[in-house]
Order: sequence, then structure tokens, then C-alpha cells
Amino acid sequence: MEEKLSREELLHVADLARIKLTEEEIEKYQVQLKKLLEDVEKINEVKGYDDEILIACWDDNTKLRKDEEGVMLDPKQVIENAPHHAGNYIEVPVVIGESEGA
Amino acid sequence: MTNYIPTVGVEVHVELKTKTKIFSDARNGYGQMANSLTNVVDLGYPGTLPTLNEEVIMLAIRAATILNCNIQRVMHFDRKNYFYPDIPKNFQITQNDTPIGYDGYVEITKENGETKKIFIEEMHIEEDTCKSAHRKDKTLLDFNRAGVPLIEIVTKPCMTSGEEVKLYLEKLRELLSFGDISDCKIEEGSMRADVNVSIRKNERDPLGVKAEIKNIGSISNAKLGVEKEIERQAKLYDNGETFKPQTRRFDDKIGDTVLMRIKETGNDYRYFPEPDIPFVILTDEMIEEAKKGIPMLPDERRRIYVEKGVLEANANKLVQNRTISDFFNTLLEEKTDFKIASNMLLGDISAYLNREEKELNETTLTKERFLELVKFYQEGTITSKNLKEMLDMILESDKTIADIMKEQGIENITDDSEIRNVIKDIIQKNPESVSDFKNGHDRAIKFLMGQVMKETKGKANPRLANDILLEELKS
Amino acid sequence: MKYLNKGISEIHELLKSKRIKPIDLVEEAFDNIESNKDLNAYITLNKESAIQQAKELENKEVDNILFGLPIAVKDNICTNGLRTTCGSHILENFIPIYDATIVEKIKEKNMIIIGKTNMDEFAMGSSSRTSYFGAPKNPWNKEKICGGSSGGSAATIAARDLLFAIGSDTGGSIRQPASYTGIVGLKPTYGRISRYGLVAFASSLDQMGPMTKNVYENAVLLNALVGKDPKDLTSANKEEEDFTRFIGQDIKGMKIAVPNFLMGDIVTDVVKEKIKDTIKILEKNGAMVDYVDVKYLEHAMTLYQIIAMGEASSNLARFDGIRYGFQAENVKNIEDVYLETRGQGFGEEVKRRIMVGSYLLSGENAKIYYNKALSIRDDMRKEFKKVFENYDLIIGPTTVSTAYDLTDPMDDPRKSFMDDVLVIPVNMAGLPGMNIPVGFDKNHMPIGMQIIGNSFEEAKMYQLASFIEKELNLDLTPGGER
Repeated sequence: MEEKLSREELLHVADLARIKLTEEEIEKYQVQLKKLLEDVEKINEVKGYDDEILIACWDDNTKLRKDEEGVMLDPKQVIENAPHHAGNYIEVPVVIGESEGA
Repeated sequence: MTNYIPTVGVEVHVELKTKTKIFSDARNGYGQMANSLTNVVDLGYPGTLPTLNEEVIMLAIRAATILNCNIQRVMHFDRKNYFYPDIPKNFQITQNDTPIGYDGYVEITKENGETKKIFIEEMHIEEDTCKSAHRKDKTLLDFNRAGVPLIEIVTKPCMTSGEEVKLYLEKLRELLSFGDISDCKIEEGSMRADVNVSIRKNERDPLGVKAEIKNIGSISNAKLGVEKEIERQAKLYDNGETFKPQTRRFDDKIGDTVLMRIKETGNDYRYFPEPDIPFVILTDEMIEEAKKGIPMLPDERRRIYVEKGVLEANANKLVQNRTISDFFNTLLEEKTDFKIASNMLLGDISAYLNREEKELNETTLTKERFLELVKFYQEGTITSKNLKEMLDMILESDKTIADIMKEQGIENITDDSEIRNVIKDIIQKNPESVSDFKNGHDRAIKFLMGQVMKETKGKANPRLANDILLEELKS
Repeated sequence: MKYLNKGISEIHELLKSKRIKPIDLVEEAFDNIESNKDLNAYITLNKESAIQQAKELENKEVDNILFGLPIAVKDNICTNGLRTTCGSHILENFIPIYDATIVEKIKEKNMIIIGKTNMDEFAMGSSSRTSYFGAPKNPWNKEKICGGSSGGSAATIAARDLLFAIGSDTGGSIRQPASYTGIVGLKPTYGRISRYGLVAFASSLDQMGPMTKNVYENAVLLNALVGKDPKDLTSANKEEEDFTRFIGQDIKGMKIAVPNFLMGDIVTDVVKEKIKDTIKILEKNGAMVDYVDVKYLEHAMTLYQIIAMGEASSNLARFDGIRYGFQAENVKNIEDVYLETRGQGFGEEVKRRIMVGSYLLSGENAKIYYNKALSIRDDMRKEFKKVFENYDLIIGPTTVSTAYDLTDPMDDPRKSFMDDVLVIPVNMAGLPGMNIPVGFDKNHMPIGMQIIGNSFEEAKMYQLASFIEKELNLDLTPGGER
């Protein structure tokens, strides 16, 4: 039998990613994710590197923008691409609970 | 009820006073038409990238300095990943690994005069979320606030009462608004506080179960919320009950906290370094430049005012109005009577400002004209009655004080001989008062001065008249 | 009369002397695309406004070598008012309201955007078969893939529909399809071209670049695309330069390194032989070629899987059906909006990578995988830099084999990474890399060679590439010259 990620683990990552899966997809991804997660385990075989990290190959640091106002969108443009809007607002089904962030 | 030791920590978000947003050049503004202050970056459009507003870094350095924090010299940003409709990219750009400030403190003074340091664990820079309005079955999103720069200031769990929380928040508000870092208007959401409350029996016990109170609309509610929460937890423990870590909110209407939700095992924010923003390396020059922008802070203002002879209570009052205090600061290098100056500003002038709903800098009062005014008052050339009569002209026209006095017909008699003649006449007419005076009744002076003023229709320079009266009585 | 099979200088002269007009080129391009319709190289054609733009250009001075020339743009690059799908159902009807910086630059030169090319969904894939709009086909053999993710751009250039296409390359997505279709494709140094307006897959790896039929035209197009952009903090602050300036110079004394990993057992013999033949030519002409070990190269794919999927899981979080794009129907609450929209809107490969990326960043995993990958990435870049202390350029094959069948199975999730195993290290180190065709296999499918330069040394790469191009003098038009 092929090795699989547990259903629970798969559904956990699907939930983190906010992706609803069909039963068929669950079956398939349990196998496929397991393979990819085995691949990334190989990182633990790498030896000899130092702690310094490379986030991206930036040519320079401290790139700041002056605090000067630029062109803004018309509210009509803001709602133009939104699937649902009410007046100038973008609309979503009711949200329960509060933001976790700021 | 058993005595418990409360432990309280506070997280404060303040919006920075910049012209534009943190990661885009759309305007940072409040109270505008919905979705009128955005661009594609704020909406998280595909392909857009953040830029970094220089002023945000400068204000954050300033804040870190004012809050006595160490400053992180090499910073990067991180992404905090979670799904919520108020966060356009479904991640927030924040600083998780390298907060710009850490290990700071502010000092509060309690009612009994005791001071206490409130320790600041860290302060970091991040972006604000959009505003959502919840309707019956819909939520409406306005992205004007999305991307407004914030600093979040996190204290150590070092407070023990609602009163301390109140003093801390007041102090913070005072420092950040005087530092020109934020408006700190709680009612407009430019300052928002969340508090974490737990209680335990003994200092040596581990910290108790935590409840977080969000949605606090005012500093007094923060105090009340903490007190109510301490009480609630104590009752539960007293009854042998326990509770789960939870998020509560302060409900204005009932004046108490209510449960929002039980906290699930740690949120999984999947932080990782933001690849779109290179390191920010703060040089000595940048830090110096940022510090240069720090205006004189309240404690120092109070100290100097008192040194200059202002009553302590008045020094406090002066600092409570930023524009008045800034105006007062322009006088500090001058030779003037600061006591009179402060009385005038806090008395008649403040009354005028309140009545007209104006700030001092919206009047025509200049430093020069104010100094002139104080001088005349000090000399006794104008009386407090005169001041009241002249006030509108002083604050609404550009004329010199001397000219206003002339126009208003306020010409005080400063001619020595003229006053002396009047006084001699009054002394002759009131022998019993004279003998009262000689018998040590000071009241007689008041009566006689009253007569002088009556005779001169209030135009006699009071100080001069007083001096002459004493001279004549003693002769 | 056909013009688009001619070289750029000749076409430019014709335009300048008013013997042809931009509209002639635009109509010819659309005719070519129409006759090559079965290649499925395009998701959206920009016919109406391209024709209008061409007509407007008739009154303008032909002021630069790219003036009036048609160009195809990969469909993950935002074009104001022109549908940009990223090859995905979730953006099937998405019309951007701004232009990518690269698109602004194209328009500044008065080039004419002909259409948006087919691609793997969100550039995730190596054969363009993950496109919601069906896979593009290889002009050399329509049973074969044309590689990916910039498959449509590669196909339209290989088929000689027009001269210029833009691709994007996160882990080889310009070079690998260029190799499979026998064209020249360059991924510039990270930061060379502003990414503003490129729909991000993995921000620290993504870079756009030119795809052309020959080296000179590639360099000419690059000239127009580069430059610091205040809207992209990762764009590099570099002076303007002419990337064609070394083209035509000999390669005597040039020092070239061949990493042993790139010529290892994973590479098929036919590819290896062709590279070795090319090396012989280089040596004969005075270049010094050494085989070298470059540490960590064998781990690049693992690093790529961690970093690219991690970043992608975050970059693609914004597709939630709220502000733009597809939203699932009959959703009752906000959680459903997310779950259903993303469940229905994304294809199989994208969902897989987002889920793996979410896993890799969750809880303690960020430390175990992601941060470790960033550390090794730093060392890998340093190893590359060491090579460039002693060598001018690095070469090797671009792909392990020639293009495979469109019908090959897609169920192995590793396959798309394995296809890119030789091109991924370049993205990890932020270096420039390019493909040039160096021959064919026995089925006359193109074989490509990869040239890797030190950061910002694209001009030197063009020098070597054009030398090889001239020496080999291959007929690179599928089915022979038109």
C-alpha cells in the first residue's frame, strides 16, 4: 500500500489554506502530499552551512519612500472587480467574530 | 472574597500621523467617503508590491526613544498569515522577529505620589486592517484604513490594577501625542488598547489563566474592564470554578466585559520573513535625525513651567492643551511674568477658546502682542475688567494692545498728581476710615480704594493708586 | 509579404523608411497566430486595441529599434484593461486596473501587445499542462509539451508568430521551455526587471525576461525592460547599459566552469553529448573550460520546494473572491466564500503546492524547514560567488532531456520539480541564466544549453551565447524556413 498522510493532517493543512477538498481529492492528496513532505525532509541531510539567512537577493538595504501622496483610485474602480458590492462598499456574507490581527 | 494578585499586560495599537500609508502612497486619512483613500496596493491587487514609507520609520524611532526602548539596528518585516476579510492580502506585514523597539519603559505617577515603571516588552511597526461594518446578513468593507501605519506597543505583564492600566494609557497617550507620533484619539480608533488579565493567589504561583479584553472604547472603560474582569475571575476561583483562556470585549451598555470566544490552541500565523522588503538598517544619522524631531515632552514642560514661577496646578493645566502649551513654550526665553501669563491663558483666554470652539493658534494672538498684554497687566495699566472688555479685539484683530486700549477708551490714569489729588480729597471726606486704618484695620484700605476707583470711574491704575493711598495715609 | 521572419534590424529599417507600417506587422502576427491556433499558445488576444494602436503609430516617428513591433506577454503580467488570468479559473474574468511596470516600459517603446500567452496555472508546473485553458503544444512536434511554465510564450516564438515574448522564471520557467522549443530565453539577475505587476508566485525567486528566436533580439529587448522601479523595492539600482555591446566579440581567454552536478547521471546521454560537443567548439576557440564542484547544488530542488511553496501559500492567499476574481456561488458565510472559492477556483497543482507551503510554515515547521532552507540558500549563493571569482561564466545543460509527450502521466507530484532540477539553482542564488539551442535529438527535438552569469553580467552571457549561435548556425525554424 502507498504511504499516505493521515486524513486529519491533510484536512488540517487544507483548512489552513482555506481550500475545500472533495473526497476524491482527499484520497489523492493524502498520497501526493506525503511524497512531497518526504522530499523536503531531505533538508535535514544537508550539513556544514552557517546560520546566516538569505531572504532574497536584494541589491541594497533601507529602501524608503518619501511620505508624498500619489494617485488614488476612484471608489467606482474599487468595486468594479468585486463580485459583490453595496454602494461604495465591497460586500461579503456576514462575518462572525473579530479580526485576530491589528 | 479571597485576595488575589492580578497581573495585567497591555497591547496598544496607535496609528501614526503620516501623510500616506505605510506600504503605499495613498492618503492616510480619516472620516472620508468609503473606499476613496485607496490604491491597488491597499486592495492587495495581484502583482502589487509594498513600498516603505520613510516617515513611518522616523516616527517609530521617535516613539521607541520616547518609550525608552532599545532600537533594533537591522530590521526586516514578516508576514503574519491568516484569513479575514479586513486584511486584503490575507496576510499582514508586521515585525515578528525584529521589532524596532524593545526593553523600554514609561513611568507613571500614582495618586499617592509613588512612581512605577511600566516595562515595555517590544514595539513594532505594522499595517492597519480595513474597516468592516457588520449588517444583518452582510459585512461591508471600506479599505480607507487598510495600510495605515501602526505601531503596536506591548507591555510586560507588570500592572496589577485597573488604576495602573488607566495611568499607563494616559501617560502613553500624552507621550505619543506630544511626540507628534499619533493623534491618539481613542474615539476615532487611532489609539486602541487590548488588555490581558489574570489573577493568582501568591507571587510564587505561576500566572493564572488569561482573559484578553478587546474593543475598549475609552481609558476609563479600560480601568473598569480590568476591575470587572479581576472581580469575575476571583468569584470563579472562590467558587472553585475554572475557566478557559478567552477573548472578551467591553460592552459599553452594560459596563462590563462579555465573552467573545474561547481561545483555541495557539493561532497558527505561519510567520515568515517578507521577501518584498529589503532589510532596514538604521544608521546613527537616521536615529539622530528622528530624535531631533521630538518636541519637548510633558514632564519637561511641567518642570520648566514650575521653575518659571507657574503654579503646579496651572503647569498641569497648561500641558493638557497642546496648542496653549506650545504657545507658552515660545515665551520661555522672554522676560515676562509667567504666573500672570499662565493665569491669563488658562483663565479668560481659555474661556474664550471654549466658547468659540477654537484652538489658540486659530486666533490672532501672537507672542509679541501677548507679551505686551502681560506687561500692561503687570504694570496695572489694564485691569482684569479691562481685559475682559478687550478680549475679543485681542484675539480677533491684529491691532497692538496699546491701540486697542485707545479705541476702547481704556485710558488708565497714570498721572501721579491727578490720582494724588483725588486720594487727598477722599481721605479728607472719610476720617473714620483713616482712623480705622491707623488702628490696624486693613479693611479700610479696600474701602478707600473702592472710593478712588469710583471717583475715577475705574480708570486709576490700581497699583499706583494703592501706593499713593498708603503714602498719604502714612504721612 | 512576410516580414516577421526577418531580423529586427531589417524590420526596423523597413518601418523607418515607411516601406511598411506597424499595422502590417500586427496583421501578420495575428495571421500567424491564427494559422498556428492549434498550438494554443494564447489565452487572450488583444486584437482590437493592437490594431488601433498600430494605426495610431503611423503618425509617430520611428524613434527606437523596438518601435511598432508586436510582442506577446505571459498571462501572469498585469495589463490594464486586458484580461489577465494566470492560467487559472479563479482569475478567468479578471481585468486588471493597472499596468505592470514592464508593460509600461513596453508601451513607452511603442511596442504593440498582441496577446497574453498560455502558462501553467500561476506558473506552477513544468509543462504548461496545469493551465485552466489547456496545454500549449510544441511547434516542433505537436504531440510534445513545450515546457513551462512560460509554455505559450515559448511556443509562439518557436513557431515564428512574432519576434518577442515575455516570460517569467521562478524555477526555470523561461529557460526550460526555451530549451524544449529551441529558442533563446533569459532570466535576468534578480532585481534587474521590476516585478511590479507580475502576479507573484514566489517573490524571492520570480523574475521576468525576454524570449526570442535569437540572441541579439533577446539583448535588444532586455535593454528596454530593465531599470530600478520605485514601486518594487527589490528592483536593483543599476545604471543603464547596452546588453548587445559584447555581441560579436570572440571568446578567447574566456574562463568557463561546468558544475559536475549539471552533467551528472540525471542528465540523458543525448543531452550530455550535445553539451560536450559545444564545449569542444568553445575550447577550440580559445576558451578555458573546467569541470568544477559547486556545493549544495544537489539540494537546490529541496530548497526550492520549501521556499517556493512556502512563499506561494502566502502570495496566493489574496485570491479569496472578495475584491476581484471568481467567487463561488451559493455561499452562506465568509468561511464558505474562502473554502468554496479557493476549492473550486484553483487547479490541482496549485492547491497541492499551497497546502504543502502552508504545512511548511505552520507551527514549528517554519523553523525546521523554512528558516533552514534560507540558511542553506545563503551558503549556496556564496558557493556560486566563489566559482565566479575564478570563472567568467558557468555552462551546462538546461534540461535533463528533450520535450516529452503531452500525454505523459501527471500524477507524480515530484515530476514538475524534477524537470527543473538543472535550472532551479540559478533562481536560488538570484543569478542570471539563459538557454540557447545547441542541437537536436534523433527525433529532431531541440536541445538547450544553459549559460549562467555572475549577478548583473548578462552582457557577458550574450557574448558567449551569440558566439555559439554563430558557430552552430542551426536551422531553428520548425519545419524549416518559412
